[in-house]
Amino acid sequence: MALNTISRGWLPVDAVVVEGRPGLWWMDMSGVSLAEPFFQQTVDRAKAENNRGELFTEFDVLLQLEKLLDSVSPTGFIFHSSRCGSTLLANACRAIDGSIVLSEANGIDKLVARFVTDAPEGSVKESLYSVFLRGVVHALGQRRIGNERHLFVKFAACSFAQIHRIRRIWPHVPCVFLYRDPIETIVSNLVEVPPWLIDKDRRILASIIGATPAAVAGMQLEELCARTIGGLYSLAQRVANDKCLLLNYNQLSLPIISNVLSFFNVNPSAEEMKSIERMIGLYSKEVSATRPFVADSESKEQTASKLVREMAAKWASEAYRQLEQKRLERS
Amino acid sequence: MNATNPAPGKHVVATDFDGGEGILVDLNTKKYYQLNETAMLVWRGLESGKSTHEIAVDITSNYEVELDRATLSVERIVDNFQTYKLLSAE
Repeated sequence: MALNTISRGWLPVDAVVVEGRPGLWWMDMSGVSLAEPFFQQTVDRAKAENNRGELFTEFDVLLQLEKLLDSVSPTGFIFHSSRCGSTLLANACRAIDGSIVLSEANGIDKLVARFVTDAPEGSVKESLYSVFLRGVVHALGQRRIGNERHLFVKFAACSFAQIHRIRRIWPHVPCVFLYRDPIETIVSNLVEVPPWLIDKDRRILASIIGATPAAVAGMQLEELCARTIGGLYSLAQRVANDKCLLLNYNQLSLPIISNVLSFFNVNPSAEEMKSIERMIGLYSKEVSATRPFVADSESKEQTASKLVREMAAKWASEAYRQLEQKRLERS
Repeated sequence: MNATNPAPGKHVVATDFDGGEGILVDLNTKKYYQLNETAMLVWRGLESGKSTHEIAVDITSNYEVELDRATLSVERIVDNFQTYKLLSAE
């Protein structure tokens, strides 16, 4: 019986479909700290270390585990428009004693994606996936050591498009939306193309940019990226409120990160702030955390192609301007 | 508690969602059921061992509804639970 096997320490590491049955892939993560910048990096490390137990269950296990597992309620959510400092912020949250940081965990973001691919607005499935999403966060946020007090969830960029559904599940959890100049963001995404931009299931991006999946399939990456981040900027501009903080990449600094943590109702110690200060000087996405951070805004602006500039101007710049205006009005 | 009160089956898991609504999952059939606020109240009442009459009285104290109508409503919901084999007689 799966429920008996999944004792404390097992985590749902992915949302999968096995023999036509949608469900979760679990792994024995006992003793494994979620120390890497991304959840999947931790999973990969754990897999490489030794032969850990793995198991498939259907989603109903989540409902049973909600009643059994001692978990931390979400402290704060991090949303972003890609390549804009969200990993640094997640790492800063990880520096807080007793924190669990779930950074773009597949089990979470794939369930969020199902709102688009499998759950029309107002359908029973929408409620079901909401309950499963709450359950998977509960399972991932379980107290595996005992001293955990904070739970931060950094969602994948595209998940922000489902903010209204996420808020319906956790209406009181504060969130931050990070973003960056559109040209810099597009250039970064073209230099190292992320999976979401070349996802073969085009329905997610189609829903964000308001096009058909077929139209998405025919778009150049420059246009697709510009339209996606433009869509996310517009949405952020609409939903920002007292519970949703706007944060531009160019603001990121130790005092601002401290402000964000305060916004999450977390007060870091002097020692924790020193750790965060060290992080700011390092490249945030590398597991070894040794590569120095090099500011690249200027070089990204300089290397942007004519097409990148055109697409940014056509699809993202105005939304970015309005978002900046809203942030400045609120500051 | 009345010995003949219908009780939730041990093979059914209930979870609250969105205020008063809820979801039931039948672990035997893997079927899910979405319950509105009233049905969830009935389910929670059955869980705590209340009779249909007691649940109907609870409803009248929370909503502007006559006892007769509340009782009919509760009985109809319990019938539905039974039809879908979500209950076990205790």
